[in-house]
Amino acid sequence: MSALTLAVAQAESVAADASVAAAPFNERLDAYLVVSGLLFVLGIATILTRRNALYVLMGTELILNAANINFVAFARFGGYGLDGQMMALVVVMLAAAEMAVALAIVLRIFHDFGSIDLTRTDGLRD
Amino acid sequence: MDFMFLVFASLAVLGGLVMAFHHSIVHSAFALVGALFGVAGLYWTLGADFLGGLQLLLYVGGVTVLLLFGVMLTTRDSARISTFRYILMAPLVGVLAYFMLRTLQGAYSAVASLGVTPAEPVPTAELIGEQFLDPTGFLLPFEVAAVLLLLVLIGAVTVARRGAGDANAASGDRGAA
Repeated sequence: MSALTLAVAQAESVAADASVAAAPFNERLDAYLVVSGLLFVLGIATILTRRNALYVLMGTELILNAANINFVAFARFGGYGLDGQMMALVVVMLAAAEMAVALAIVLRIFHDFGSIDLTRTDGLRD
Repeated sequence: MDFMFLVFASLAVLGGLVMAFHHSIVHSAFALVGALFGVAGLYWTLGADFLGGLQLLLYVGGVTVLLLFGVMLTTRDSARISTFRYILMAPLVGVLAYFMLRTLQGAYSAVASLGVTPAEPVPTAELIGEQFLDPTGFLLPFEVAAVLLLLVLIGAVTVARRGAGDANAASGDRGAA
């Protein structure tokens, strides 16, 4: 409980810092952090609550995108130039590669087990 | 730009919400398209024009088409949400979120205390190209990415093809499973 109140207090202090600036949203780091945090939470919720492997992949993509927003936003508002965008580009490339391999594996699992329900495909076979 | 931020941010979050809680996987996949498009728009509001375009090409154009193929080729499974898992995982996620918020708050105040005014957006495609070919910049990730993509190309084909090759040999075994 105390952890929750602490987190809320910190979130409020973040909001208070930003309201001093009162800049438009696209010039406020915290606005981007809120959006990326929401996307991250939704991705985590998808991964944890679904049993279908494709849903887990979709949740992963959402999480990677949330991280990318943070990369770009922190680089822009911290004065790091292009570094954040370069990292985000590498992440996008890796995510596309991961998606291709993961879908091949999902097809393979479907072929072997007749299902892509992750709670039923927990056995290793020869 | 303020208005555009709101449009793209709400598109991203709404898409994510629908993806996370809709009961049909096809609808979820299309909601993911919306969310990824919203993220591309957020890149544009951040002055990352090339990254936003690449996001559209790779994610909205490529990854989701792959996903839809995956849906077509496999799913007859339930897309239902397991509330039991939800309850089981909630404390763990809460603790994780707490530490993540603390870290994020530290990073936020560190960056905010720098007092940097964001630079005026410039076209980034040329600058990014120079960075990727600069030995003191991002040449190494660029070359590693090239090798990795080749590996992925071969690996994905091998994994997916092996299923087709084994089909004759292991069909009886598969029937038993």
